[in-house]
Amino acid sequence: MGKTVMVVDDSLSIRQVVGMTLKGAGYDVIEACDGKDALAKLNGTKVHLVISDVNMPNMDGITFVKELKSQPANRFIPVIMLTTEAGEAKKQDGQAAGAKAWVVKPFQPAQMLDAVSKLILP
Amino acid sequence: METRSEIDGGRGRLWLAGEMTIYEANTLQTTLMDVLDKCQNLEVDLSGVTEIDTVGVQLLLLAKREAQARGRQFRLSQHSRAVVGVFEILNLSGLFGDPLVIPSAATA
Amino acid sequence: MSMAEALQTFFAEARGLLLEMEEALLKLEDEPGDQDALNAVFRAAHTIKGSAGLFGLDGIVAFTHTAESVLDLARDGKLPVDDRLTGLFLECRDHIERLLDLATADAGLDDETRDAGAALSERLATYLGASDGDKHLPEEAVSSVERIPGSASDDNVWHISLRFARDVLQNGMDPLSFIRYLATIGDVLHVTTLPDALPPAAEMNPELCYLGFEVRLRSDADKSRIENVFEFVREGSAIRILPPGSRIQDYQRLIEDLPEDNLRLGDLLVASGAVTRRELEEALSLQSGRQARGADDAALLGNVLVSEQVVQPEVVDAALNKQKEARSRQSQESKLLRVHADKLDSLINLVGELVIAGAGLGMLAAREKDAAMVEAVSGVARLVEEIRDGAMRLRMVEIGETFNRFRRVVRDVCKETGKDIELVINGADTELDKTVVDRIGDPLTHLVRNAVDHGIESSALRAERGKPAQGTVSLNACHESGGIVIEVADDGGGLNRDKILAKARSRGLIAEGQELADADVWNLIFEPGFSTADQVSNLSGRGVGMDVVKRSIEALRGTVEIESRAGRGSIFRIRLPLSLAIIDGFLMSVADGHFVVPLDMVLECVELNGKEAANGRDYIDLRGEVLPLLRLKDHFALEGPSSRRRNVVVVHWGGRKAGLVVDELKGELQAVIKPLGQLFSGLRGLSGSTILGSGEVALVLDVPMLLEQALLHESRQLNPLQTDRMARRNVGVPA
Repeated sequence: MGKTVMVVDDSLSIRQVVGMTLKGAGYDVIEACDGKDALAKLNGTKVHLVISDVNMPNMDGITFVKELKSQPANRFIPVIMLTTEAGEAKKQDGQAAGAKAWVVKPFQPAQMLDAVSKLILP
Repeated sequence: METRSEIDGGRGRLWLAGEMTIYEANTLQTTLMDVLDKCQNLEVDLSGVTEIDTVGVQLLLLAKREAQARGRQFRLSQHSRAVVGVFEILNLSGLFGDPLVIPSAATA
Repeated sequence: MSMAEALQTFFAEARGLLLEMEEALLKLEDEPGDQDALNAVFRAAHTIKGSAGLFGLDGIVAFTHTAESVLDLARDGKLPVDDRLTGLFLECRDHIERLLDLATADAGLDDETRDAGAALSERLATYLGASDGDKHLPEEAVSSVERIPGSASDDNVWHISLRFARDVLQNGMDPLSFIRYLATIGDVLHVTTLPDALPPAAEMNPELCYLGFEVRLRSDADKSRIENVFEFVREGSAIRILPPGSRIQDYQRLIEDLPEDNLRLGDLLVASGAVTRRELEEALSLQSGRQARGADDAALLGNVLVSEQVVQPEVVDAALNKQKEARSRQSQESKLLRVHADKLDSLINLVGELVIAGAGLGMLAAREKDAAMVEAVSGVARLVEEIRDGAMRLRMVEIGETFNRFRRVVRDVCKETGKDIELVINGADTELDKTVVDRIGDPLTHLVRNAVDHGIESSALRAERGKPAQGTVSLNACHESGGIVIEVADDGGGLNRDKILAKARSRGLIAEGQELADADVWNLIFEPGFSTADQVSNLSGRGVGMDVVKRSIEALRGTVEIESRAGRGSIFRIRLPLSLAIIDGFLMSVADGHFVVPLDMVLECVELNGKEAANGRDYIDLRGEVLPLLRLKDHFALEGPSSRRRNVVVVHWGGRKAGLVVDELKGELQAVIKPLGQLFSGLRGLSGSTILGSGEVALVLDVPMLLEQALLHESRQLNPLQTDRMARRNVGVPA
């Protein structure tokens, strides 16, 4: 049974590269371009891990994670937050919201794959 | 997760199927403890388990310990492929002491 | 999807973000308090940095990082947003664009760009100096620690002791996953699961983690790598890692530190092979040496690291190779779909073929005289037409994005010249073909610069003339009978008729005393090398330009006309076809071949009389004017019977004229232009092909190229005097 990862980022190129890397490693990937889009796509879909950017239009990553963690069906989904080395405060906000894993932007595809593999294997 | 139990006199058989994961933590705990209360000799059939995580393992260990503490028999059987995988990783067969039959690829 | 394709996505995306950044910066310049605009600037920089890092574009990452740090200060209100700051960021934006250009061209950093980047970084750094200097670059994922040699004796076996934070499961992290992951960086030799901490059933919260794990791992990984496995669960967890070569004292301390019973733990360690029974007994009986141990251990633990990169490139390679097989859900933008232009082109090609096949079917049906069939075919034809229009619409984009670019142009020119000019945009949502949009940008830039630089007067002069101090340049777009009209208008002084005439006379473009209509006078400025600017400014008036503008527009099969009133301003009006893919053409045949020229390049057709046909010269006298000829049959080395009667199709482009000698004139047609195959790539003078309703192929002539050739031929044949005469252009006298 394949594991499904949702990639939430407003940057198409990041979604493409992350998606490609994860698919290559055997994960299924769902892409969403912001928090709103992600919540809509989560509805009724089994997702094993969420990777989310912080800074996004419509609904930012922190709000999205808070919302995700309040949904009974999704509250135990591990979340990897994409943080910046400068955004320590944001990282803490993310942790408080329930995103306990993080990858610092900019990252290499392999770093992302590595972080994901720690939490779920395909 | 799906559960089904048959209790005949002191002998009970609990059939667990689906995901034994954190989402089912409370249901699983209640079910295991309820059934354990009602029988002297419990066999838990894991043939239908598709996924098991630390929560599931932990609750099986809890049931095993509770049974032992009360002097009851607790036995796991028909470990599904998913269960066998996790038991192997965590090296659990010694803890449970039940024979672990590795299902062939065809039946999995 | 490949990395190369994703890189192209990044380039497109980054350019889009730079546009947004520019718009937001210009907005900030007007309203420095606009938080949304500031956020937009930040987000653009942030996203570009993040994605650039993904593609290893370190130069972009480093520069954007500094910029982002300053923006972060501004966002936190620690830095006032003023003109100086927005100005600096506009420059930064431009620099990022240059870096992107270089990356797109796969070129290295040139000195100029490097210096410019360094200068900008320095200016950015002055803002950061005030705060605690958040200047460090992103950490490199390389740990440079030495490794103790000679650990072969214990085979690189690590001992890892895991007591996770209770809430680890609720956070979605399963200890199982970490142990599975360990198996990807080494061999998990032994795992012991410790249920000792499980509370009585009544007290247990099944969502918490009570299990402990002791793991023996054989791995070449370095310590930081192994530590990093537990990076996300470190908080609140007790994780101890004993490296290979750890001494018995280390295990002893471990046993003492762990919550479980010491003797039991000791047995576990023996069972897992970490220590021998004898060693354990020795260790447990050791009561002394405790004081010295602290320093001793620290030295040992700290040393055993490997200078190996955390990230192993093979992992990605394998991932990328396998991705082809992996099935996946398509990526979905919420509203927009980014489609590779090639796919659209091939769709439009197919639609073109469908149109042709449909025409063929129509001919057949008509021949069969089967009414029902004709009816059905015409139904299909209607649908095909709709599909064709729909497909063509897919290539249509709004011109607004191109227009918005000019806000920056106007701003920059205003800064340089000290003028106050407002740019007004109308019809930004007017759509036209993507190719046309891409190629109209440069000519438009030139026109806008001219309008700002030459068109609009200085504030003083405007005041003198009783005009508002703020000048207006407007960009308008609208659709007009199958084409688009783009206007660049200004409310400046208008073109100076006398000056243009004087200049034209001095250059011999018009005869002394020759009178011209206004429109013809204005057209003079499109002559090569014609500039009326008294002073050559930094922006324009360098004498190159208007002729290039006109040629670029004509290359798009467009036209440009000028309306100008002294003291009131000028309008440059560009008319363009909506699309380059389907044109109105004129069909003719030579020998057995069919050729098409764009209809709007055809001036007239004349019959070539016998004498002229026979003399073999490459020019004729057309109403007293020398018209160079190009014999297509010779030019393309066509074989086949020539008809006795020949025709000359007079074509024009860029102010030049020539006659194409052909056999037969076939009339107008709608041509779906298809690119030429490899076969024709070596042939000069063709720009594409189209398929006729009969199924035959017609070649589309590249008129500008043919004109060049015709003029070249002609100048070789005519004597020098005549050449000189021909070299002078016919000005403002349309045939």
